[in-house]
Amino acid sequence: MEAFGVVLAAALAVGLPALATAWAQSRIGPAIAASMAEKPELGTTAILMIAIPETMVILGFVVSVLILFRGAA
Amino acid sequence: MIIEMVRLRILGPRDRLGDVFDALQDLGVMHLAEPAAPASGVSPVELTTAQRREQRQLRRARDHVERALAGLGVRAGPAARAARAAPRATRSDFARWARLGWRVRRATERLATRETTLQDERALILKYQQFFGAFRALLESQSRWPSATAYHVLLRGGETEALIRLRGSLRELIGDAFELYSQPLPSGEIALLIVVAAPAAPQVERILAQARVQEIPVPASYGGGALTEAIPRMLARLSDLPAEVAALRRERARLGQDHGAELRRARAGLADRLAELEALPLSAVTARAFVIEGWAPARSRSLVEERLAAGFGDAVVVTEVGKEDWASADAPVVLSNPRLLRPFELLIRLLPLPRYGTIDPTPFVAVFFPAFFGLMVGDIGYGLLLGVLALVLRRRSKPGSTLRSAAEIAGACAVFTVLAGALFGELFGDLGRHWLGLRPIAFNREEALIPFLILAVSLGAVHVVLGLALGVAANIRHHPRHALGRGMSLAMIVAIISALLAAVHVLPDALLTPAVIVLLVAFPVLIAAEGVVAPIELLSTVGNVLSYARIMALGVASVMLAVVANRMVGAIGSVAVGVVFALLFHLVNFAIALFSPTIHALRLHYVEFFGKFYSPGGVRYQPFGHWTREATR
Repeated sequence: MEAFGVVLAAALAVGLPALATAWAQSRIGPAIAASMAEKPELGTTAILMIAIPETMVILGFVVSVLILFRGAA
Repeated sequence: MIIEMVRLRILGPRDRLGDVFDALQDLGVMHLAEPAAPASGVSPVELTTAQRREQRQLRRARDHVERALAGLGVRAGPAARAARAAPRATRSDFARWARLGWRVRRATERLATRETTLQDERALILKYQQFFGAFRALLESQSRWPSATAYHVLLRGGETEALIRLRGSLRELIGDAFELYSQPLPSGEIALLIVVAAPAAPQVERILAQARVQEIPVPASYGGGALTEAIPRMLARLSDLPAEVAALRRERARLGQDHGAELRRARAGLADRLAELEALPLSAVTARAFVIEGWAPARSRSLVEERLAAGFGDAVVVTEVGKEDWASADAPVVLSNPRLLRPFELLIRLLPLPRYGTIDPTPFVAVFFPAFFGLMVGDIGYGLLLGVLALVLRRRSKPGSTLRSAAEIAGACAVFTVLAGALFGELFGDLGRHWLGLRPIAFNREEALIPFLILAVSLGAVHVVLGLALGVAANIRHHPRHALGRGMSLAMIVAIISALLAAVHVLPDALLTPAVIVLLVAFPVLIAAEGVVAPIELLSTVGNVLSYARIMALGVASVMLAVVANRMVGAIGSVAVGVVFALLFHLVNFAIALFSPTIHALRLHYVEFFGKFYSPGGVRYQPFGHWTREATR
């Protein structure tokens, strides 16, 4: 049961930020695409804007790994 | 690095202003600027009414020439360079070029319109051909319905409901006095043939209009009426069309041969004269003298002096404006780096240029960008594939082009990927381990997640601390307070890291107390230097360091995908199918490895690293010179 809890926590740690990232990118993507249609020079900004929310899921992944390792120990 | 610029002031007799501009245009090194604070009696040059008219006419002529060249598909080539050596264009040249540009533009537009018409006609005939093929037997028996009218209708694929509605409407209106045949076409559309009794034709036409379906009546140009009679004429026309299109293309090629070179000369000549007219208001004059100011690379100063002395003797004087008399923010920026680092300027040019007098981050990007990329992908096999791709791209690109720079960056990334692959013992995931007995030199990324995380965050700490140190260096002269703030942030980050490492016994315990003392001393200084928002910025800097954990996250994802690809060979029944799936999966992983690490390595530079020292807003160096393709970008 405890192992299940650890796995669930790890899954939530990466899953919830992944959903949040997906939601954020779903808003940023169309907005930046519309901006680029008018100003193509915003390409670099587009890369940054799309990559910024991914920090959440990456840190979530790190936390998830730490939870799994702690659970295994 | 950002090369050193000097601001030069050129003085001379007013009647030689035009000649001096010509000489400067031939030199092509001066980035002209308005003279700073003109003295009394000195006024900026204003274009005369005749010059303004000439400017308008030349712009129109240039527009015609550009469109004519675009219509001919002529690229800028040797003619643009040859124009430098050619004698200066005269008024009669401009008039001739304007006429030529207008004439060729009209001709190319006429040819393009004609070609589009022919292509449309071909598409229409092909549509009829498909329609005729679908109902050949029925249409050929049309003669048996002398008192009937046939309608040819096309529905888009998937509009089966529209078909049902149409059938229902027809039945409701005219009962059973119609026949409706439908046939799917190879294009995905649905062809409908509706045959109705002649008296019901007006009602049917109204229904078709209301249903907004695409009716394709036989065009009058093919005789109208029955499709069976028009089709042979259409097919004959179809076989004629390629020859007509080819004739149009030949005519365009002939126009290109006859006028391409002259139009390229015209483009360069017109652009040169327009550049001169646009540059004139940047000079200032008195009753007898002129003054021109501008920026030139410090190494070109003697060249300007020598050339003007050779052309005008003592009549024209070149002096350097003291550095105290100009703001560094106004000076144009030229990035100049050793050959090995130069391709990475591409990544800097994606952002606004750094301001003059600040730091050019190209050398740091050239080291860290491929290193981060390599650590994320970290596979000998993928590295070799990327290397091959980079070589092919390099071979197919022109020197100095964006593609060439991208290929060379990819080459550097490939080298670091192979090195990191050797470090982690990976060749297409764990394939190298199983087949070649490859062993990791550092650690196995599949298992040693925590060491990999520590490596990534440590690299982040080094990168961010380097950024803060560069921030101190960039601000120390002009913004000492800001430099102090950056220095305190740097000291606190180092102290936090030292304290943490001492707490977990990686560093000697004795370091803990000095680190805490540094924190306690630096904190109030930081607030004094940067204000109350400084602690928030410090926290965000700590967040920046943690953000480098993405190197580990993407690295682990990459190796796991490669391992999953290898396991497909055993997991799927047939070995051959498994190998195909494994190869496909590796291909997908390689494609992901090209994009995702690039974007994240860029982000780590642009957000985490550049945020500490980069000052955007530099003015692009645009020397006053002859037309080149680069000058138009």
